[in-house]
Amino acid sequence: MKVFWFFFGSLFFLTFLSYLFIDPNFFPLKNLYSGIAFQNRGLVSFFYILSVSSLFLSYLQVIRINVKKKLNSAQVVGLISVSSVILFFSYPAMLSYDIFNYLTTAKVFFHYFENPYLVMPIEFIGDPNLLFTHAANKFSLYGPSWVIITGIPYLLAFKNILLSVVSFKILNLIFFWSTLYLLFKISKNIQTVLLFGLNPLVLIETLLGSHNDIVMMFFALMAVYLLTSGKKVISFISLVLSIFVKYATAFLFPVFAYYFFKKGKIKPEKIYFYSSCFMLLIFFLSFLREEIYPWYAIWFLVFVFLTKSKFLQGLSIVLSFFLMLRYVPYMYLGTHFGVTPFIKISLTFIPLAIFVVAFRFIKHRLNFQNSE
Amino acid sequence: MKKKFIWWGFIALFLLPYSAWAEQSSYVLPYPSSMPGSSLYFAHQTLEKLSKFWYFGDFAQFKYNLKYSDKYLVEAKTLFEYRQYLLASDSLNKSNYYFEKLNGNLLRAKENGKNISEKEKMLKLAAEKHKEVLLLIKNTTPPSFNWRPEKEESRLLNLHKLIDYSFNLRKL
Repeated sequence: MKVFWFFFGSLFFLTFLSYLFIDPNFFPLKNLYSGIAFQNRGLVSFFYILSVSSLFLSYLQVIRINVKKKLNSAQVVGLISVSSVILFFSYPAMLSYDIFNYLTTAKVFFHYFENPYLVMPIEFIGDPNLLFTHAANKFSLYGPSWVIITGIPYLLAFKNILLSVVSFKILNLIFFWSTLYLLFKISKNIQTVLLFGLNPLVLIETLLGSHNDIVMMFFALMAVYLLTSGKKVISFISLVLSIFVKYATAFLFPVFAYYFFKKGKIKPEKIYFYSSCFMLLIFFLSFLREEIYPWYAIWFLVFVFLTKSKFLQGLSIVLSFFLMLRYVPYMYLGTHFGVTPFIKISLTFIPLAIFVVAFRFIKHRLNFQNSE
Repeated sequence: MKKKFIWWGFIALFLLPYSAWAEQSSYVLPYPSSMPGSSLYFAHQTLEKLSKFWYFGDFAQFKYNLKYSDKYLVEAKTLFEYRQYLLASDSLNKSNYYFEKLNGNLLRAKENGKNISEKEKMLKLAAEKHKEVLLLIKNTTPPSFNWRPEKEESRLLNLHKLIDYSFNLRKL
């Protein structure tokens, strides 16, 4: 199908684009540094908007095709697999430098044997990672589950920086596919897998940006799934593991408390709905800590497609697209100050407000037509 | 002659306080924490023992030892000011106990391939500050004191000897 190739083409173009963003200080890829992204901000921003827009358009088209004539599971798996492979080869620090922070924090713990909650990377004077690590002056921002998990990719890379980046990407790939498997196991519906697994925000932030949110959400989804299956102890362990990746899933405690309050007499779908709502709430509250980062959307996207709420699903897709555009102001202007924050806020909340009004209007019209 | 004298007097007036300030270490000691006898003191001591395990690693151990050396020095200073000489001596001994370990932490870090130049600078600044505080304490403390508790035997506390020992310990 043409739309598949269009989707792959857009991903391929984005992967190519990512290499224009190579940090001159990232010495393993120094030879590939061109500086194009920093010297031609307008052009690069345009191409970024173009590729993200085409990705979302083709994503919606694929979803529409699936609704109409149902894609088989092999087609869906193939579609997401090819997308994963393309993005696996992307340069990870195009939109954020978090992967370097993960890598360097892992080094503090597994190489220097220091506590990353007490010793900052910047304290290791002369360490080559300091050249490209952007949050070197911070203690570990992530929980102990994450620090321990990062030991696997870090140690498997045998202290080679490029191999470390690759192994961190493999780690994310494993958790991404595990999440997809879990989504299918829960929903028994390929559409759910497609809605989440092919969402460009999920793909880009997990496989290009290599954010650890997918790891946190895998354990959270596992916890909720086990809870609805009556396996309370393992469910609680999974929730704790999730919380100690990045803390945000602590917001699922009320859902667990409600489940126990109702003595388990509650439909799983409702649990997923409440989980979506609480993760949406913490997503919108995240500005209190720093700002709303696009990859935080993974927190609620994992649950949203397990609900039957068309409102939440529509809102999630609209939000996904405009969150990806939040990168544009910095990409174009090269500063986090001035009008950049204002444009970012506008890009998030104006489309959201328009969607809410439009959704209510359409719903009202449909109700009116039905009553006639 | 008189004019010259006034002139030099002015210069001295401006330069002396500056030079006295310039000699002070920029290292900042913490506020006094809970004092012996306070209900929180035991809790803080338990935390101190437990957190030793949290502070694993050469640099973290260095931070731990410096943190508690600072804490007990400030505690000792406060207690000396209140003439609680027995408790003050105990606190100063504890500060010394932690301070003595600092060089070992840095040596181990160096052996493990870590650049310790910044930590050495920090230790030097801390030692200078400690010495300033010790001099202040010495100026306001009697050389020795016969401590007579209510139901125990009296003890002679050689305060200046202890302060001198602490001072010499911090000569790097």
